[in-house]
Amino acid sequence: MKRKLALILTFLMIVTTFTACGGNNQGENSSKPNTADMDVLYYAYNSIPILTWDPSIEFSNGIIVLNNIYEQLLRFNASTKEYEKVLATDYSKSEDGLIWTFKLREGVKFHDGTPFNAECVKYSVERTKEIGQGAAFIWDPVEEIKIIDDYTVEFVLSQPAPMDVIASCPYASFMMSPSLKDKPNSWFEEGNANGTGPYKLQESKMGDEVILTKNEDYWKGWDGEHFEKVIVKKVSETSSRRQMIESGEADITMELPSEDVEALKGDENVVVEVVPSFTNLIGFFNNQKAPLNDIRVRQALSYAFPYEDVVNYAMGGYATQAYGPVPKGMWGYSEDLFQYSYDLNKAKQLLEEAGIKEGQLKLLLTYMTGDESEKKMAELYKGELSKIGVELEIRAMPWESQWEMAMGTDTSSQQDIFVMYWWNDLSTPYSYLYSLFHTEDSTLYNLGYYRNTDYDALIDKAQSESAINIENAEKDFISAQEILIKDTPAIFMYDKNVVWVKSPLLKGHKDNPSYPFVVFFYDLYREK
Amino acid sequence: MKKYIIKRVLLGLLVLVGVVTITFFITRILPSNPAAQWVGPRATREQIDAATIELGLDKPLLVQFKTYIFDLLHGNLGVSLRTKQQVTSELKTYIPPTIELVLVSTILAVIVGIPLGIYSAKKKDKLLDHFCRFFSVGAVSLPTFWVALFLQLIFYRGLKVLPLGGQLDAKLVLLYNVPDVTGLLVLDTLITGNMTLFVDALKHMILPAITISLYPIGLVARMTRSAMLEILGEDYIKAARSYGLKENLILWKYALKNSLGTTATVLALSIGYTLVNTFLVEAIFNWPGIGNYISTAVMSMDYPAIIGVTLFSACSYIILNLLADIIIAIDPRVRV
Repeated sequence: MKRKLALILTFLMIVTTFTACGGNNQGENSSKPNTADMDVLYYAYNSIPILTWDPSIEFSNGIIVLNNIYEQLLRFNASTKEYEKVLATDYSKSEDGLIWTFKLREGVKFHDGTPFNAECVKYSVERTKEIGQGAAFIWDPVEEIKIIDDYTVEFVLSQPAPMDVIASCPYASFMMSPSLKDKPNSWFEEGNANGTGPYKLQESKMGDEVILTKNEDYWKGWDGEHFEKVIVKKVSETSSRRQMIESGEADITMELPSEDVEALKGDENVVVEVVPSFTNLIGFFNNQKAPLNDIRVRQALSYAFPYEDVVNYAMGGYATQAYGPVPKGMWGYSEDLFQYSYDLNKAKQLLEEAGIKEGQLKLLLTYMTGDESEKKMAELYKGELSKIGVELEIRAMPWESQWEMAMGTDTSSQQDIFVMYWWNDLSTPYSYLYSLFHTEDSTLYNLGYYRNTDYDALIDKAQSESAINIENAEKDFISAQEILIKDTPAIFMYDKNVVWVKSPLLKGHKDNPSYPFVVFFYDLYREK
Repeated sequence: MKKYIIKRVLLGLLVLVGVVTITFFITRILPSNPAAQWVGPRATREQIDAATIELGLDKPLLVQFKTYIFDLLHGNLGVSLRTKQQVTSELKTYIPPTIELVLVSTILAVIVGIPLGIYSAKKKDKLLDHFCRFFSVGAVSLPTFWVALFLQLIFYRGLKVLPLGGQLDAKLVLLYNVPDVTGLLVLDTLITGNMTLFVDALKHMILPAITISLYPIGLVARMTRSAMLEILGEDYIKAARSYGLKENLILWKYALKNSLGTTATVLALSIGYTLVNTFLVEAIFNWPGIGNYISTAVMSMDYPAIIGVTLFSACSYIILNLLADIIIAIDPRVRV
């Protein structure tokens, strides 16, 4: 009996110690540094915040961190459609769009103290081109970089190209310090960074968590309210991200399921902001495979797609039906283009005209494993198609496998409909129209195997034109989409919206769809 | 005895060779493109072709397998396709947090499970026994992810006393230098005497450790109970009772000692299960362990990482099995 009593007493002691520790925390810490007073911004991100620290290579999530450590010459403001001057103060181009001259900002220093000048621009672009990984292709048109003086640099191009679009690209356009040359190859792998941006890299844990601290010497200065430190952390569970934002532990997060977003809308401790993104969902028909090589079949399948239901149920309303491959908000987007609507009678009629009887057509649709909205979309589509006697097999595959199957050369073993999201690299319609529909010798991203030489010629012309006259270029890009929509090589499903979930005290945040999921931490502050 | 152990070790090595071979070929036969994975999103054809040669993927699969085995024998697990870091160094980062979690939950399983089993054996078919049975069956059969979410809901959102996930408070990390001596965070913070970090690390440990320990607790309790019941019916216990020895002495000393063999075997095997179980729990609690690592690796078909983790799991299973065998062999009642 005594022994039992002793056991119980020990247990009670342990419990009280625990609770005491928990309770004491606030009181005890008042003399010590306290986390509550710290000026820290917490961004709960749904995936790994960075894959590689090399700004020449990173072509993924990492831009959410790199855009705060490094800077470009220009930054594109998607809402005013203007280029903000960052490390360049001015730029001009020759009439033929082949020579672009950039004036550089003076008095800018890298985090290690190296001054920023024309040498750095030349070094950065050449380094990225030489490594040739990630989005290095954006610099392809650049033939030579001439240093005119310390703060003037001239890009000589091999073909007309919009250098302002390229210099403001969210990937691979970062300015680096030539002091990198003295660093060993493993410097980036060890988690180091040296940019001109407002934040320095303080610490990173194998990419799971990144801590940034303010760069005292930032050229814009630190007047006004800003955050001292920033934490970007991978929180892959959606329920965790939701709870963290509800409790106020995290200040800003994204990519919550639409059910959670709906629930949070009524919560006054949370601000929900829905903005259009430059990401869209496209279902590519296999244009080379019978019977999909018959335009009437492709039209029929486009009419059978339940656009409204997909937007409302698969995306919870956080999307809009697309007009073409160029997303809403991007220049070159037009609502004058023909838009398919859900019409089963028309679909049935077109299939009959093409000589396809009910129950005869069996199609395979592939999409990426784990994407809930694509899955729901596919199920809705399958239901509609079964009403007109078309059997749709839905297959979820890891991206690598889905892609590998599409790249196969044997048409009969390929999919019939390839579903994928596409997003911008360069903020130009060309980024969509070229990669997805320009004729390819061996398949890469033209996953519908679409071939039309008139279309190819038109977008290539428009691309050159965009270096000279953007209005003319836009017209051509829209005509190109007219050709495309007439040929119906794909179902243009929807343009996705981005949902930001934030603390109501967090001010200064403005989404810029050109830089997907990038939060420019310098602009943010917490209302006191 | 020595012969027996050597035989078991050799058998274990054979199993390892099998595991490596099967995992290698399965991950490579699945339709996927490691070169494209290596280059990253939006790769161009030239980049993919260059990577194919760089990674030696243009060579026949058997040649690649030979190279892989050769590197493996030199302790080189290759480079992750996704992060481009050495898999060995990544494993070194991600294994300790998982081990920490498994250790703590195993300790919990012992200090809760064994007394629970003893008491329910003592009070067979009484209320306490029924309660223990109900608890153990529940602990074994409740889905871990459900328990994890449920605990988060109560202790983080409801009572606001325990953190949601992670190993340390992200903001606290900004104030203190996080020590790294053994890689086991709770231990490290204790050794270096940073009480604030220690308490915080401990708090972060509670929910995931409880979640993971539920299964072994249930298992250990049930095993102890049945072993105890069997032993309590033995003649020597009757003899001890007839000598008038105290019931507690009989229970905790004479009976328990003899039942521990079975319990220890079960426990050793259940650690293996716990290790795999953590994979799911880590994802929910955002625990920076091996489970979090493998789930991203599998999603992106990162085969060097997948084989690395599989090897680690296989090794742990083999070692634990060996341990269980040795425990049995030590018992003088078992002749080997």
